Amino acid sequence: MRRIKQAFLYRLTYFLATPAFLWEIVFLCIPFLFIMSASVYLQGRGFSLAAYKLILTGAHMRIIVRSLVLALFTAFCCLVVAYPVAYFIAFRARSWKNALVLLLTLPFWVNFLVHVYAWFFILERNGIFNKILLALGIISEPLHMMNTLFAVAIVMFQVYLPFMILPVYLFFEKFDTRLLEASLDLGASWRQTFWRVLVPLTMAGAQLGFFLVLGMSFGDYVTPQLMSGGKTLFVGTVISDYFIINRSFSLGSAFTCISAVVLIGLMAISLGLFKLVAKGAK
Amino acid sequence: MRFLRRLRLPLFVSGVYALLYLPIVVLIIFSFNGSTDSHTWGGWTLRWFAELFRTPEIWVVVKHSLIVAFSAMALSLVFGVMIVCSLKERLDRFASLFYIPILVPEIILAVGFLYLFSFLKVPLGLQTLIVAHTLLGLAFSVPLLHARLAEMNAYSVEASLDLGATKWQTFLYVVLPFLRPALVSVGSLAWILSFDDFLIAFFCAGSSSQTLPLYIYSRVHVGVTPVINALSTFTLLVSCSLVILYSVLRVRLKEII
Repeated sequence: MRRIKQAFLYRLTYFLATPAFLWEIVFLCIPFLFIMSASVYLQGRGFSLAAYKLILTGAHMRIIVRSLVLALFTAFCCLVVAYPVAYFIAFRARSWKNALVLLLTLPFWVNFLVHVYAWFFILERNGIFNKILLALGIISEPLHMMNTLFAVAIVMFQVYLPFMILPVYLFFEKFDTRLLEASLDLGASWRQTFWRVLVPLTMAGAQLGFFLVLGMSFGDYVTPQLMSGGKTLFVGTVISDYFIINRSFSLGSAFTCISAVVLIGLMAISLGLFKLVAKGAK
Repeated sequence: MRFLRRLRLPLFVSGVYALLYLPIVVLIIFSFNGSTDSHTWGGWTLRWFAELFRTPEIWVVVKHSLIVAFSAMALSLVFGVMIVCSLKERLDRFASLFYIPILVPEIILAVGFLYLFSFLKVPLGLQTLIVAHTLLGLAFSVPLLHARLAEMNAYSVEASLDLGATKWQTFLYVVLPFLRPALVSVGSLAWILSFDDFLIAFFCAGSSSQTLPLYIYSRVHVGVTPVINALSTFTLLVSCSLVILYSVLRVRLKEII
């Protein structure tokens, strides 16, 4: 009896894992299957690839490429800016460190939407940016910045920057600074030390941040909608238009599938590039 | 010149921080603006804050958002602790599964939820939103709690069991306190993720149960609304004081113990 009870208890501990797995399967894997099957199944006509044929021509692909370029640009800029900032917080800030990390997380408490919307005040025709430039005499006419790609890009960069700095910083934090000193002592230049010691050992943080920002900016809906006035189409806006406004589910699903495949391909390529950088550094 | 070069990095970092805070500072200033349009300054006023507290529909959606955020946070913490403690290092094999929801664009998840809920004929509402946000929360709670548990010294559990504590006592007095810092950070992440989420709510909250981001969007995309500025200043004030209160309390607690 005792052994049966023990065996039962042993099984019971495994039982505790089920809710989390259930969630991943029911709310993540099955919905993916739904999207995929809806993209090849037309109501009343059965299996058909018509949706894909329509999506793969011209205009739709241009939207995907546009989103892709914007996402890559955002992620790359964030990465380049995040590295020195994370370096400063981790190694140079000393007693300021905790305050700087706290300041990095505080913007998350302001709603994302509000964050984007605040840029109206800065970028519009009579906004702060134009007023400053006019006052400085750099421009004589107010610049037209709202509803342009520039506005979307700068807002995405600003909004997603903390998502890049934090992971990079976390890996800098684990990094042993004595390795830098050793490398410099042994005669390596600052540049060599950076590329051959610091970068390979903090690569994981950079990768995490890069993929986070890439994924978020690729499918972003709020920023393009508010900053381009809904005039320039991006992946996020097109997908939600298909589902919420047009209610054309098979086209929407096909478009979703294609953009997911493109994103996965891009992530695979950048993973390869990251590996190459780490290897080339060695 | 060398002096300038030494200052280059600090200057760059302060520039980045200034950029990060630029929209927030602008928002706070304009929440006290007396004029209704965005580009003229009408003197300092508290009018928008008065209007904020007089608008009952805002507080209804805030209540909805709070319910969803706290439930999703609780569920993802409980499920996270459960799976992490039961599988321990065997979880490594499945770890990548739990990363997927944060790497996949939110819009794809949202579309998937819409399909699932309409297939199951579940009425959209706060309950569907809680379920959906729990998936996002798990994406942080499972990997982070797993990493924290891996750092734990296995002997302390054995010692506790050897000294006569039951499994449940060991969990409550040894494992859980060790996980606490991770629980705090995961909890606040999951909470913010849910409280902040617009896209998933846009797809699967239904028309009857508006959340705060949905409300803000409905006001903001038609133009500038000063009440929203006041609301953001207010939320920032509340969250800042909570963060400061927590860090002060933590220091105090450490001094006592």
